[in-house]
Amino acid sequence: MDFAFLSSIFTQLLKGLPLTLNLGVLALVGGFCLSLILNLMRTTRVGNALASAYVFVFRGTPLLIQIFMIYYGLAGFGFIRHGFLWPFLREPYWCGLLALILNDAAYTSEILRGGLRAVPRGAVEAGRVSGMTRLTVMRRITLPIAVRQALPAYSNEVISILKSTALVSTITLMEVTGIARAAASETWRAVEIFLCAAAIYLALSLVVTRLSAWAERRLSPWQFGETP
Amino acid sequence: MSLPSTALSIAGLRKSFGSNEVLRGIDLVAKDGDVISLIGASGSGKSTLLRCIPMLEIPDVGTVSVGEDSLSPTGGRLSRAQLAVARQMRGHLGFVFQNFNLWPHRTVLQNVIEAPLFVQSRPRAEAVEEATALLEKVGLAEKRDAWPAHLSGGQQQRVAIARALAQRPRAILFDEPTSALDPELVGEVLKVIRALAAEGRTMLIVTHEMGFAREVSSRVVFLHQGLIEEAGTPGQVFGNPASERCRAFLSGHFDRNR
Repeated sequence: MDFAFLSSIFTQLLKGLPLTLNLGVLALVGGFCLSLILNLMRTTRVGNALASAYVFVFRGTPLLIQIFMIYYGLAGFGFIRHGFLWPFLREPYWCGLLALILNDAAYTSEILRGGLRAVPRGAVEAGRVSGMTRLTVMRRITLPIAVRQALPAYSNEVISILKSTALVSTITLMEVTGIARAAASETWRAVEIFLCAAAIYLALSLVVTRLSAWAERRLSPWQFGETP
Repeated sequence: MSLPSTALSIAGLRKSFGSNEVLRGIDLVAKDGDVISLIGASGSGKSTLLRCIPMLEIPDVGTVSVGEDSLSPTGGRLSRAQLAVARQMRGHLGFVFQNFNLWPHRTVLQNVIEAPLFVQSRPRAEAVEEATALLEKVGLAEKRDAWPAHLSGGQQQRVAIARALAQRPRAILFDEPTSALDPELVGEVLKVIRALAAEGRTMLIVTHEMGFAREVSSRVVFLHQGLIEEAGTPGQVFGNPASERCRAFLSGHFDRNR
């Protein structure tokens, strides 16, 4: 084993970590906001149909194709090329981030929907009957219970999105995988390089898994036989 | 001495679910201090009647009054202004569900102080002090920091009663409070309700516990197919019912327990 090479590659790859985290975190934040909107839309019939169609399309097609469609496809529309968003949409970073957000929102909205459906009717009724406004019921009862229900599934989505950021290396972005690809084609030592890259993703997943277990324990202590 | 004033009144109440008319014109008045038991076969409409009072089910026609507030919904809907009145009415009622419906993500104490803090905007220290006293009253002072999931059904229902009392209600509505309990846990809940009756609390109780209804009520109301078939003191209704249907219902009930 060439440890000197490994460590030099490792430090090189770590330079891509900020971009990987930047894309992952912003995709999750943007995706969560969009998923809230999608769930609000579901309260009306037309909105429900639109949200279902959105989820169907973005969950049913590969993320890589979504990235390509946005990065290579949007330039084909004159009104976009001449529109005010073009300074953003011609940048690979914004295209990649947009694709990640749109894709994450489809999955997150389904996770949140499952959480909302699992809120016991009686708990909501008890809130209403105590004189709470709709907003207070939402804030104090429905959402807190839904988030607790959705947490385990959501931690999967967080890991999935962090790994999916690797795909934006295909549109020239130099995050961890992008740097790894460039280094591999330069040195022809693919195995060592990609192993290092994989280790970085593995470490990220470990952090997320631990964080989510901690959050679960903290938010739902009664499920772990704890008393406050 | 002044006569007790009206805590709660229902007039001309009707409610259908689809083509099924569950309530067909109910009139009922509860004065302060009344303990009224609603009895009847399942499907007679007694739970629906109780749920119509805080507008958990919205009546098709009829008037519900609680203290000063009064609502006469039409068409099974509430307007925005009516909803505000309904919330005010709910604030003056306590409601105890068959399935307790405690909030699973809050501790026992948090369940009890929730409405005082987030509906009535009372100071936290005061709410906690009152909640502690109420938990003491239902015999669960030492469980204040427990999670609902860790309590027995009887204990959960007693917390639910404390939660209802924390709203300082004008009247408390019980929807079959012991029907979801294991038989050995029924007694502890009935004991708490009995103590509330002795305090002179105004209560409406939907129940299948005939012995309890007979002992605790100031009035008993027998519902049959969405109408009040028989009403009177426990002595009248249980001892010498005028209605044949009431007689049949009661004898069926007491035979079963024999």
